[in-house]
Amino acid sequence: MAEATATGTTGEEWQPKIVMFCCNWCSYGGADSAGMGRFQQPPTVRVIRVMCSGRMDPMFILNAFLEGADGVLFSGCHIGDCHYVNGNYKATIKYKFLKAMVNELGLEDERLKLDWISASEGERYAEVVTEFTEQIKKVGPSPLKPEGVI
Amino acid sequence: MEIGDCYVGWATDEDIRTRGASGGLVTAMLAAALEKGLVEAVVVLKKLGEFEAVPVVTSDPEEVKAAAGSMHSVPIVLSRYLEYGTKVALPAKPCDARSTIEQAKRGQVDIDTTYIVGLNCGGTMHPAMTRKMLDVMYKLDPEDIEGEEIDKGKLIFETKDGEEHAIKIDELEEEGYGRRESCQYCFTNIPVMADIACGNWGVIGDLAGKGTFVEINTEKGIEILRNAIDSGAVEVTEADEKGKAIRAKVDGAMMKVAAAANEKYLAPIEGSHLDYYMNALKDCINCGACKTVCPVCACGEGAKCTEYSSAADTYKMSLFHLVRFVHLMDSCIGCGQCTDVCPADISLTHIYQRFARPMQDEFEYKPGMDMTTPPFFGVDLLEEGH
Repeated sequence: MAEATATGTTGEEWQPKIVMFCCNWCSYGGADSAGMGRFQQPPTVRVIRVMCSGRMDPMFILNAFLEGADGVLFSGCHIGDCHYVNGNYKATIKYKFLKAMVNELGLEDERLKLDWISASEGERYAEVVTEFTEQIKKVGPSPLKPEGVI
Repeated sequence: MEIGDCYVGWATDEDIRTRGASGGLVTAMLAAALEKGLVEAVVVLKKLGEFEAVPVVTSDPEEVKAAAGSMHSVPIVLSRYLEYGTKVALPAKPCDARSTIEQAKRGQVDIDTTYIVGLNCGGTMHPAMTRKMLDVMYKLDPEDIEGEEIDKGKLIFETKDGEEHAIKIDELEEEGYGRRESCQYCFTNIPVMADIACGNWGVIGDLAGKGTFVEINTEKGIEILRNAIDSGAVEVTEADEKGKAIRAKVDGAMMKVAAAANEKYLAPIEGSHLDYYMNALKDCINCGACKTVCPVCACGEGAKCTEYSSAADTYKMSLFHLVRFVHLMDSCIGCGQCTDVCPADISLTHIYQRFARPMQDEFEYKPGMDMTTPPFFGVDLLEEGH
């Protein structure tokens, strides 16, 4: 954590930067519900809306890491609930490949996560975000972070 | 003639038979396919010198005949030169055959009109390395070389004065010469995925060196061999059990060598993986040649990996490479073309294989062996209950 505090703002605890991809129909609604339900969550997540978790291109995730994300979360409808019938099955396959790739590349396993959050699960959304933030805080800043990016 | 049958065959033409690597069957068969109109074109390597050749798409049987003889030092994958919709035949090392099938999956090649004449392959050499090796190991002038062959684990060069110079391949490889690295750890020696598999392993007795062992794998294989026999270009006899056993034994021995090379080259990385890869790619000049020659990449111009990556990026690793890593995880066949062309001498095949092998093992998917959809795109919706 010595390195972690060095890159953070002085005196405060280092806050990771997390990019989260949410599907339009479930997880983005979940984020909304979390806000409306006033569920506490850390301000570490930057949400990007995609139409479906099956739309997730591995490149989006790789680019997020290269741009300086400490962790990437991506989330869609529960299995069987996909608005596009099977988009989340495709997401699972992509996740499997990405996970193996990120591991071989030498990034920590914890930095990438796929989870299912439905539109009504505001509380769960907040839980997932809190948990993931804690996880990233433990592993520290991403080694792929470009010079000068906090 | 049926699928699975094995024969030993040779060209009836004396000239082709002597110039061909082992009986000239492949050359005669390809020329006969053109002459009889079974195919419209054949892709072959046109010899420019001992260490130089260019791929040509030809409809002239004479040009096919002129290309007789093996070339171990020109490792060019021919599948990129096939055209969709043309009836075409090509002589194919296992990597040529596998990439042809991968191209067919991506709609670049029509597998039904492509006759893949497979050749047994124990490995190829990089031409520049061959020249250096002749100078350092054999103490020969590369310009004096007239022919080369591989026999009983030895690499033999014949000079213009008719003398033969042999050194064991193991010895050469210990010194860092010999076969390309990707060939050393390649596990596919007999092209079982091709329409017809040809080679000199398993040719015994009087025919040794003068005949080609042929195994028929598909209907198209029957067609092209039958065509050659009917036109009188080749003769065949049934292969005996002893020959088949010897062929299997040679294949097994090659597999063992490959397994040892696998241990040597692809052993787990010690220390930080990220440092390893960043260091390996630090000389990259962003030329994109590795993608251009990649026989399983069908993206063409404006591909995701090149379009979204820029030399002006200040990323710690190039997005181009990261996208390529993911893309090749289920499709890299380890042909070694990327390493061959890299102007910065980056061992790209090695890196791609590090990513690809564990994934291909996990999905029990070997690219290019048949027309199975790659796992990355193969969501079985019926199985999942939709």
